[in-house]
Amino acid sequence: MSAVNIWEKMLNIDRRWIFLGIAVVSIVPFFINFGMPVVTTTEVEDIFYYMDDLGPDNAIFVSFDFAPGTQAENMPMAVAVMRHAFHNNVPVFMTANWPLHHGMMLAAMEYVFNPSTVGFYQEVPFDDWRELREADVTAKGELVEAWENQGNQLSEGALGWVFEGRDYAAMGYAPVFNLVILGMTVSIETQYPVDAHGNSTGEMPMLQEHKSLREVDMALTSSGSGACVWWVTYAREKIGLPIAFGLTAVMATDYYPYLQAGQVIGQMGGLRGAAEYEVLLAENGITPSTDKAFTGMDVQSAAHIFIILLIIMGNLAFFAGGFHKKTLLKGGR
Amino acid sequence: MKRTVPLMIVMVGGILMILQYFIPHQISQTIFAYYTDWTPIILAFALVLGVGSLTRIHSHKIRRKSKNWQYSWAVLIPLYLMPVLAHIWPGSLSGGMDSPSIFHFIFMHVQVPIQATMFSLLAFYIASAAFRAFRAKSALATVLLLSAIIVMLGQVPIGELLGKWFPQTGLWILRYPNLAAKRAIMLGVGFGMLATNLKIIFGVERNWLGGAGK
Repeated sequence: MSAVNIWEKMLNIDRRWIFLGIAVVSIVPFFINFGMPVVTTTEVEDIFYYMDDLGPDNAIFVSFDFAPGTQAENMPMAVAVMRHAFHNNVPVFMTANWPLHHGMMLAAMEYVFNPSTVGFYQEVPFDDWRELREADVTAKGELVEAWENQGNQLSEGALGWVFEGRDYAAMGYAPVFNLVILGMTVSIETQYPVDAHGNSTGEMPMLQEHKSLREVDMALTSSGSGACVWWVTYAREKIGLPIAFGLTAVMATDYYPYLQAGQVIGQMGGLRGAAEYEVLLAENGITPSTDKAFTGMDVQSAAHIFIILLIIMGNLAFFAGGFHKKTLLKGGR
Repeated sequence: MKRTVPLMIVMVGGILMILQYFIPHQISQTIFAYYTDWTPIILAFALVLGVGSLTRIHSHKIRRKSKNWQYSWAVLIPLYLMPVLAHIWPGSLSGGMDSPSIFHFIFMHVQVPIQATMFSLLAFYIASAAFRAFRAKSALATVLLLSAIIVMLGQVPIGELLGKWFPQTGLWILRYPNLAAKRAIMLGVGFGMLATNLKIIFGVERNWLGGAGK
């Protein structure tokens, strides 16, 4: 067999071997936890420290602007910021710009409130604390004390109570979301008279304290599409609402101009961005450990190395086999 | 008439929306409020039109037993079943959208895995395409290839272990050359959109009429 034939064979390798290789490097790191260090960047630190300065008097929006296809990247970002907000008792409004994204919002809530999640938050549904609300006990500290005095105990492993309507409001999907953002610059309640669970938003203490986007301190859009720009166009540019981006890795490169222009306070790019936020949360004692994004970085490391090796092998065979001088090369399967 | 009326609506509506954005007056706010009320109503009609059209096309395929007609059932059944489960099916029989419900179960265990799988397939095809097509055939292609490798390594922890300059150089590429190129593209697209929108508003560009009134 001549040398050229070896290179040609290599170039025409059955692509199913490549698929198998990707499958192996994607699966194996889940079982062998390398725990490689993730170094944080200013793009993510800016969001983290901005969030860290907020407290119970502030409020943020977390907008679920992604579909299940990109949830591996977008979900950890939204979850990380939600947990940060709950730790600092910052009320969180959760929205979705598409019906599918509404399901992602519910999935994030399920994850954060699920007792099997390490460092979960114990949820108190809106109706369950109606009596306290009617007795005008709505400040977080007093509310927790009164709630526990009623005999309610925080479950083992829970990081704290989160009261629906006080700590979070699941607003969900509303049609024509760019107009909804514009409308919320005047009044949140007119755009969402009821939340995703059918609760009257007007009765929620957090909505009584933060009536419009003008009284909100940040919006994170965890986005898998260009819809993230709506928040800049309709909220940042109109009323100066600080915006943070959580973007998929392929999108991240597109949005650096917004970052450099100061139109967004920071951006989390892909799984890496989410992992950086998880590292910051763990390092600052906000969560007991890192989460899914950090674990996924081992997989991404292995996959990137594998793809780079493929590129090198492909180029080696291409040039060593002299195919750069030829016009025809048989295609592989 | 078929052309003049739509053109007038677009011109008046477009100019009003431009003006209201820059004039913070009560009248402009009222106009905007009307607009925000009207848009979802118009879109609701578009939804009826879209669902009706989709139903007609697929029921036609089923009736005629056209090629792959069986898949039309896969479109029509969820199209009608999911809204029924979310809004009409009684809550006592696990109706509604909240967990636990049949709707939520189907969403989490059918829709989510399907979409996640479709997106995950990209990794396999990217790997295969990178092996076959990513060649250093010219100086520009070599720059692209090297940049890609540096950014790929810079984005993952193993790059940091291989050399600190990988993440630093990767970030430099993203923050400067990438940013400059993206900004140029965005400005070009922005000016293009502005010109096209003005042409539509003033009736110079009329392709959107779809030949109506000719």
